[in-house]
Amino acid sequence: MLWLSDWWAAYQSTLAFSMVNAFFALSSYAVMATGILSFATVAFAAAGGFLGVQLLAVFGVPVWLALPAAALAGCVASVAVSLIFLRLESHWLALASLALILITRILVLNSPALTGGVNGLSVPVEAPLWLLALLLAGTALVFWRLSSSWYGIAACAVREDPAVASSLGIAPKRVQLVAFAISGGVGGLGGVLLAMVLQFISPETYYINIAFTMIAAVVLGGSYHWAGAIVGALVFTALPVLMQALVPAVQDVANGLALLVIMIVLPRGLVDPRAWRARQAAK
Amino acid sequence: MLNLQGVGKSFGGVHAVSDLSFAIRRGSVAGLMGPNGAGKTTVINLITGLLPADRGVVTLDGASLAGLPPQDIAAHGIGRTYQNVRLFSGMTALEQVVAGCFLRRDTGLLASFLGTPAARRAASATRACAMALLDRVGMGHRAHVLAEALSYGEQRRIEIARALGSGPKLLLLDEPTAGMNASESEVIGRLLHELRDAGLTILMVEHNMRLVSDFCDHVAVMSFGRKLTEGTPAACMAHPSVQEAYFGSKDNAPRC
Repeated sequence: MLWLSDWWAAYQSTLAFSMVNAFFALSSYAVMATGILSFATVAFAAAGGFLGVQLLAVFGVPVWLALPAAALAGCVASVAVSLIFLRLESHWLALASLALILITRILVLNSPALTGGVNGLSVPVEAPLWLLALLLAGTALVFWRLSSSWYGIAACAVREDPAVASSLGIAPKRVQLVAFAISGGVGGLGGVLLAMVLQFISPETYYINIAFTMIAAVVLGGSYHWAGAIVGALVFTALPVLMQALVPAVQDVANGLALLVIMIVLPRGLVDPRAWRARQAAK
Repeated sequence: MLNLQGVGKSFGGVHAVSDLSFAIRRGSVAGLMGPNGAGKTTVINLITGLLPADRGVVTLDGASLAGLPPQDIAAHGIGRTYQNVRLFSGMTALEQVVAGCFLRRDTGLLASFLGTPAARRAASATRACAMALLDRVGMGHRAHVLAEALSYGEQRRIEIARALGSGPKLLLLDEPTAGMNASESEVIGRLLHELRDAGLTILMVEHNMRLVSDFCDHVAVMSFGRKLTEGTPAACMAHPSVQEAYFGSKDNAPRC
């Protein structure tokens, strides 16, 4: 049984990171499900992360209160941002959201009283794996219920054709505003959880690397079902680590290769509801 | 019921629609005809709010639709289909129509999210309603097929069912039989007949002369963004300027 405990010791941090990445992937899936490509999740994560850590470290707020506060911070930030972003056409919105990541980093660097500036902040509380798993399951539950409510149908229509959706009485911008609010809440929660896993945050914590990871995870897992974001994040985070153990030569390129293969063979990702339906109809 | 008064729309320097006025009576089937590029689809887009009008007013039952976004105009009771079928990809026929029934939802987002018994009843009522609409257009047996797997004629019928989902008073059809063979057009014609008999008001843009003369009570003919004439289908087709717009000159017109 020794190998099992060794294995556990080696991989539990991978498991923690893949669950944190699943929050970020779900956050970007939330807006992608209404037809928006946005990297703004990184900024929402920073809002949730720094606020949450301040509450935990400086004010001694208990975890159960700091987590919803972080989610709320992300939510407020996302609604504020979306009021401006939703005026932009799709590809300009994506570019603006990249710019937002850069702006966020500058803001974080230049407000040391709140964020610790270049020195960063250390986090006194660790997130246990069971807490991450519980919260991820709860978030997945929210996405499942949303997708089967009428919001899910409206989001799907807006994603496929906003003009047609509007002529059916669905207000595209309103649906997208709700999507941003959800994205912000989940992103803010992911931000503080990342801080609690890392035990230390700095301006570099919430930066382009998260944006890359979450979008790649959604592409890999599939952007047409919420489960795709979770599967994608697990695979994308675990693959390099597994490769390091099995075939060390390919660990650095494993993710790139996996993405390429998926985009060629399964362009709609690993989890694809349309493929299930086509199979169902063929029966 | 629907009234257009001096409606105009320009794109850059091109007057797509200029000073157009016409009215549609409740319970009638109106036709909008004209050569390609006459501005017919632009008129539909102006009525549904997809394009803002530069000039003029559109009123439905006396209420002005000016400046309203498309979703509010849909809520006023106007449904539409598109010239080139625009179904949602990845959705089954039934789901398309359920999306069309969006305006009929009578549960709040929270109730729908929580899946309360009332919300579940409402959701199954919506599905039943969507299913009934599919049956009405004769597509009930294809309810669970993905839209992209359906034939062109079937997709057109799904689109009509989706537009009926919102329970419109006025249905705008943009070339409902474009690209269809005679028997497919026949099916659409019969469907329109039934809808009219059920009391729906219809405005259709159509090139199919037979369909127009069989179903339309009133026709307006457009050319280069202007209204040439209006009246009964027969009177319009006999009108010299209409013949000129379609055939170049009166002498080229086929004798019939």
